[in-house]
Amino acid sequence: MKKIVFLISITLFTGAVSAQDKYFTKTGKIHFDATTPKSPESIDGVNKSSICVVDTKTGNIQFSLLMKGFEFERALMQEHFNENYVESNKYPKTEFKGTITNNTAVNYSKDGVYPVKVKGKLSMHGETKDIEADGKLTVKGGKISANADFPVTLADFKVTIPSLVADKVAKIAKITVDCQLEPLK
Amino acid sequence: MKKKKLIRNVLLVAVVLGIGAAIYGYKEFNRKSESITSKAADFKVKPLDIITAFTDDEKAATLKYGGKIIQVAGLVKKVDKDEQGNFTVVIGDNSSLSSVRCSIDSLFSKDVTALQLNAPAFLKGVCTGFNADEMGLGSDVILNRCVIVKD
Repeated sequence: MKKIVFLISITLFTGAVSAQDKYFTKTGKIHFDATTPKSPESIDGVNKSSICVVDTKTGNIQFSLLMKGFEFERALMQEHFNENYVESNKYPKTEFKGTITNNTAVNYSKDGVYPVKVKGKLSMHGETKDIEADGKLTVKGGKISANADFPVTLADFKVTIPSLVADKVAKIAKITVDCQLEPLK
Repeated sequence: MKKKKLIRNVLLVAVVLGIGAAIYGYKEFNRKSESITSKAADFKVKPLDIITAFTDDEKAATLKYGGKIIQVAGLVKKVDKDEQGNFTVVIGDNSSLSSVRCSIDSLFSKDVTALQLNAPAFLKGVCTGFNADEMGLGSDVILNRCVIVKD
């Protein structure tokens, strides 16, 4: 009898504290900023429909977003971004597949802020490059916030900036990630 | 005298054209993305039809629907709201993981409260593309800057 009670308790206890395996969102926010100090206006857009999936057991992390989903304040800037820079008709999607290299340091069952290092491959505009970034995972109430800032050299992805606007559009864009992840049931 | 008048008239026309071009240039440069409320839909579809089109031939469907205004009629599966109060209305069939995800134009967020789960709705938005089911989350057609159509 004692053994049964013990086994049941262990099972319940494990169930109560163990985190879900996968967390995801389909409304992740990715902000793209290519403003230079000389630019008279900000060159930035935001995508609010990015997909992000994190596998807490393996540390695998994936992002997927549609380039046409980036919204800019000025319609002309959005059109130039799509037609001339990222050529979204030819290359509709950007993807990142990588891992959280210090995944074992993250306790997904305990509320807290965990600095993370992410390494993986970014595929954009028909090119794939290795990317490393620092970020943080905030575990709170059974949900995870994933935040990061990292630079992307546009030339690495064959995104060409015309010389006419070379002093307005930065050669290195700043990407900001802000995703609220929920358990995948 | 005639020559002077001709030169004067030509200069006048050039100045008027120049001002016209400058005004046009200024307006075009500062043009904001218009709300699509007043714009007619390029296509009116049911969720299954557009999802199937993308599943069967993503390249062809992206060419056909990408950047176009799509009006979708279907059942409201879910309404997501993010930390900034932006709504996404998920339209589709409850028996399928795949949906049409409509990211609502923030100017029309208040209209979302009128929607009911599992009730029919008509939404109109710009198609930004298709997310194929690569991560076990179902496939989605994504519409941006959506408005609810009172059809």
